[in-house]
Amino acid sequence: MIGPTGSGKTTLLNLIAGLLKPDQGSIIIDGLDITNKPIESRRLGYTFQSPSLFPHLNVYENIVFGLDKRSKKENNIQITNFLKDLGISHLINRRIQGLSGGEMQKVSLARMLITKPKAMLMDEPLAHLDNPTKRRLRLDLRRVLKIQRVPVIYVTHFEDDVYALADSVSTLHNGVIEYTDKLESIFLNSSFSSSSSYSSSSSSFLSNGFTGGNYLEGEVVRSNAGVTIFSIGSHLLETLGSYRVGSKVGIVLRPEDIILSKENVNTSARNIVRAKVISITKQHNESGIADIHLLIDKFRITARITEESRTALGIREDDFIFAIFKASSPQVVREE
Amino acid sequence: MKHQGFNIAILILSGITVAYIIYPLVTILSFTEPAELLNSLTRPQVWNAFIISLVSATISTSVLALFGIPFAYFLAKYTIPGKFVLRVIVIIPLVLPPLASGALLLGVFGPNSPLVKSFPGVEFTQSILGVIIAQIYVSSPFMILASQAAFESVDESYEKIARVLGNNRLETFFRILLPLAKTGIIIGVIMSWVRAVGELGATMMMAYNPHTISIQIFEDNAIGGLRQAISGIILVVVLAILIVIIFYITTTKGRQILSLGNLASSSSSGEQ
Repeated sequence: MIGPTGSGKTTLLNLIAGLLKPDQGSIIIDGLDITNKPIESRRLGYTFQSPSLFPHLNVYENIVFGLDKRSKKENNIQITNFLKDLGISHLINRRIQGLSGGEMQKVSLARMLITKPKAMLMDEPLAHLDNPTKRRLRLDLRRVLKIQRVPVIYVTHFEDDVYALADSVSTLHNGVIEYTDKLESIFLNSSFSSSSSYSSSSSSFLSNGFTGGNYLEGEVVRSNAGVTIFSIGSHLLETLGSYRVGSKVGIVLRPEDIILSKENVNTSARNIVRAKVISITKQHNESGIADIHLLIDKFRITARITEESRTALGIREDDFIFAIFKASSPQVVREE
Repeated sequence: MKHQGFNIAILILSGITVAYIIYPLVTILSFTEPAELLNSLTRPQVWNAFIISLVSATISTSVLALFGIPFAYFLAKYTIPGKFVLRVIVIIPLVLPPLASGALLLGVFGPNSPLVKSFPGVEFTQSILGVIIAQIYVSSPFMILASQAAFESVDESYEKIARVLGNNRLETFFRILLPLAKTGIIIGVIMSWVRAVGELGATMMMAYNPHTISIQIFEDNAIGGLRQAISGIILVVVLAILIVIIFYITTTKGRQILSLGNLASSSSSGEQ
């Protein structure tokens, strides 16, 4: 769920969890009306922006806090596996005062997930982390949540969180949910969006100040010395980072990172593909900027250049041009 | 140069304050000779009074904890209209001069009051019960305010998370709120106890007899001056030093855990 600050994202989560009472209306989960149920009976999970681990308990005690004695015994093996999955087994007896930000968020997540909640509410859990930690934890987060098979409402205003984690996206504005749609609908290069205008979902998405992205799926072919080559269709593209050979990756490529050229030129950029211009539209709201929708074999991407450049290069529909981008441009957001 | 002047001024003022506190302690020993002092320390009246003070203060503090801590929880956590009125009421025993408090208590517990008349045979005044009643009244603000501040200092997120994890209000109170508020509450207990031991004005009105240590010192001084009062004085000074030590240990150790805990909850440092 995305939305500007003050749109009511945290309020919504608090209402669902029962930390706030609604003035009117009802909250129904799985057909069950929980509006008047006390907080402790709602069987939900809720992680805040700061981990808020209980300072007088160690990591293990924090994690099992929500389990009763019987569950603790029965689930001992499950608890150990769970910790191994998150990569925090070695922390189990530590006091929480010595943990790093990323570790604390993992413990906070484990503490909630272990109670097998009906749904998870997450309020910008990655907000206070530094970028490398954020990127790493995001990948782990998706993997763990998928394994647990628990529905999640994830509140964020980071675009990367959306691409990395969402199955569907909701936009919230002034307390009203404007749109809910599948994730694919907000990608610039989605086959669902019509060629002449953006779907109303992606408009809503983009009006939140997000720039939009191209989403591509590929397979890692080679990876060493911090450079990874992945295949999309018959094309081989390069990106930075180390990933496991053979794993499927989801990649986001920003439209403004793509350089267009009429000729096949030699530059330091590692990626150059030949593409056909399918259509040209104005970027959402900005008439001085053009979105060039390209078809490359079986996949589509959208490049974004100034209208001036477009006319100077003489780019029109049905033209063949070259799309160029550096290895540093594509961001891996999913890894399976 | 100006910079130096400021430092000097601060040091001088601090020095005077410290001297003002310490000097009287240092000089009490000069009021009597060692042999006389040793003799007076064995007076049974003084020890009786001392023990009465200690025992009654302990009972008072226990009763106060039983009622005061839940009330502090109420003040910290419940919202009702006009709660500020309650907050004002709590500090009344603090701002009333102790003799006035004693007089007011006599109105309730004095021999002619309806309450006392309905419990014939119970000695509400001029008895240990009277001492305890007076001590409870004057010490109550310490217990309530310290506990309330302790409950309020615990980050609300902890309780919210405990509730989401399936704990009701009672469980959350015992598993989260109380352990984390422990230090502040203990400080409240200590301060209440100390105040109860040191109480004079209200006990004087409610129960001049049996003598508490404060009344004993007062009487000794009235009769024989400092030379006679010195034994009682030494006992309470030693007690005071002990309390200071306990207080220091509790606050530094306790505050360590709580502040580190708050550090962990309010900010997350990135991976080193």
